[in-house]
Amino acid sequence: MMFARLSIAVSALTIAAVSGASAETVTLTAYSGIFQDHYTKAVIEPFMKKYPDITVQFYGMPNSAQMLGTLRAQKSSPQIDVAILDVSVAKAGTDEGLFDKVDESVSPNVKDLYPNARPEGVAGVGVTFDNLVVIYNTDQVKNAPKSWNALWDKQYEGKLIIPAVPDIQGTTFTIISNKLAGGTDYKSDVSAGIAKIGELAPGVQTWEPKPDVYAPIANGQAAMAIGWNARAQIYSGTSGGKLGVALPEEGRGFQINTINLVKNAPAGDAAKKFIDYALSPEAQAAFTSEMFYAPTNSKTVVAEDALKRTAADDMDKMIDIDWLAVAKIRDSITDQWRRRIIPLSR
Amino acid sequence: MTTATFDLPVGSQKSTSAAGIAIALLLPIALVNAIGFILPVLNLARMSFNEALPGGGIADAFTVANWTGLLQDGFYIELITNSIVVSLGITLATLLVSYPIALYLHRASGAWRTFLTVLVISPLLTSAVVRTYGWIALLADQGPVANAIAAMGFQPPRMMFNTTGVVIGLTEILMPYMILSLMAGFGRLDPKVEEAARTLGATPFRTFRRVILPLTVPGIALGCLLCFVLAISSFITPKLMGGGRVFLLATEIYDQAIVTLNWPLAATLSMLVLIIFGAALAVYSRILRMIEG
Repeated sequence: MMFARLSIAVSALTIAAVSGASAETVTLTAYSGIFQDHYTKAVIEPFMKKYPDITVQFYGMPNSAQMLGTLRAQKSSPQIDVAILDVSVAKAGTDEGLFDKVDESVSPNVKDLYPNARPEGVAGVGVTFDNLVVIYNTDQVKNAPKSWNALWDKQYEGKLIIPAVPDIQGTTFTIISNKLAGGTDYKSDVSAGIAKIGELAPGVQTWEPKPDVYAPIANGQAAMAIGWNARAQIYSGTSGGKLGVALPEEGRGFQINTINLVKNAPAGDAAKKFIDYALSPEAQAAFTSEMFYAPTNSKTVVAEDALKRTAADDMDKMIDIDWLAVAKIRDSITDQWRRRIIPLSR
Repeated sequence: MTTATFDLPVGSQKSTSAAGIAIALLLPIALVNAIGFILPVLNLARMSFNEALPGGGIADAFTVANWTGLLQDGFYIELITNSIVVSLGITLATLLVSYPIALYLHRASGAWRTFLTVLVISPLLTSAVVRTYGWIALLADQGPVANAIAAMGFQPPRMMFNTTGVVIGLTEILMPYMILSLMAGFGRLDPKVEEAARTLGATPFRTFRRVILPLTVPGIALGCLLCFVLAISSFITPKLMGGGRVFLLATEIYDQAIVTLNWPLAATLSMLVLIIFGAALAVYSRILRMIEG
């Protein structure tokens, strides 16, 4: 069914691309849902106001992998100009030759990006930083958790939600747990983290929350979970405070979304203009205030109230994750989850 | 298949034009099938011999690594047997709850029968996703079913986010298909035969076992084939109700294709499902031959 919907969307997109072939339409693919709503408001609308002759079409997809699949299918005649996706998926796309390099010649703002927004071997550059945090239902958890270890508290047994690998929330959680368990270098061995999550396994209600991890926490189906900070901050507001966000003291798991220029993009220079704008301090600040993703441009001035709710104020509180190294061990992490964690929860 | 219905006298002038018409009529559907089904399946078969690179890349290659890896890996062997066992279990459960309903419907008549038939089919008007969410609400830890069991003084078992939930959800979702197949296969069941059995002194149970059941085997075989195929290929309900604990072929194909981006492995698993379908069809036609033979 999802494929049917996707193919309808793709054909609609093709028609749209053909009818708007004046090269002044930029088609952007990124996450659908609340990301789309907020990104449109904070970045795309101001951009179109600034460049009235360019129209940006937002083609939302539920996850990075689906975007890569679509880009792969369109390789011989791309319909998408710019793609915002997770860094590890962007690396796979780069290796398959789907993207052109985004450097100073595309956008002068590239030189102002934080070093970790310019990962080696990826054609695109970081456009948002996010981090994995603990989320909880404020009716069931009275005191805001301060540490990741709150998840191992026996009183929440059966009321936990952990999105399992291959979801990268599970991958990030593995690396954090490995650190909590005293494991050394996650790139060579995560078995300590795997064993620690194994202790949690019998008390996990579901490994695969639908539609996402935020809804069951907001409505009280579960008490505690892990989730992405930016989205959690938004749902904290829309749930009227039922969903609480805790930024654990041991640090948060680091994630990068990259912005990528599709090779042979039909929009040409207009696509580069959009990327330049997306990386500018003004667009970065606007999106941070709107959705609490931390900016990747070091020149960005973030409003005080937004700063406290993002990762931006204390980047040293971040558990650094080398996503390109993780991409190489992801299969092994997935294997260990399936053999050594999930069976313990049956 | 359709050609068999054409009567083609050999050698006459008319026959060549009839054959021409037959070919002309078959060509469009053959083309659509070739482009829309056979080509993609061949493409899928080819993909299963490509090499998957870490991080979701695909390298053009010709390797049997995906196949041998699959058949040597304990996890996948368990996944395959688990899928088959769970699907057979769902098929059996669906048959047991649907058979009495289908038999009753077969015997009903007039407006009452029409009304009941509409009632049986009506769940198909709602999407499986909606019905699955309904079951999630019913079977949740604090849901009505758990509360009712607790009220009777028992400790309610976990019925959601595990295999139990998947079996309950899919059984209900597949019931209309089973009932309709059973009714379609009940054609040979004549009330007069049952009456004859009873007048000759057979008990109701004996009548059922020796008369009704053998006569309804074609319907049972058809319904079971359909439900088994639908159960093993369904992924929305296991995805929503399995809680990430229930690994089945269809959910694994989805994960490998959409999340992990290992298309070669996803293609290999898909081909495996096709092979299982083939086996199910072979069993079905064997049963039919046994009845007729």
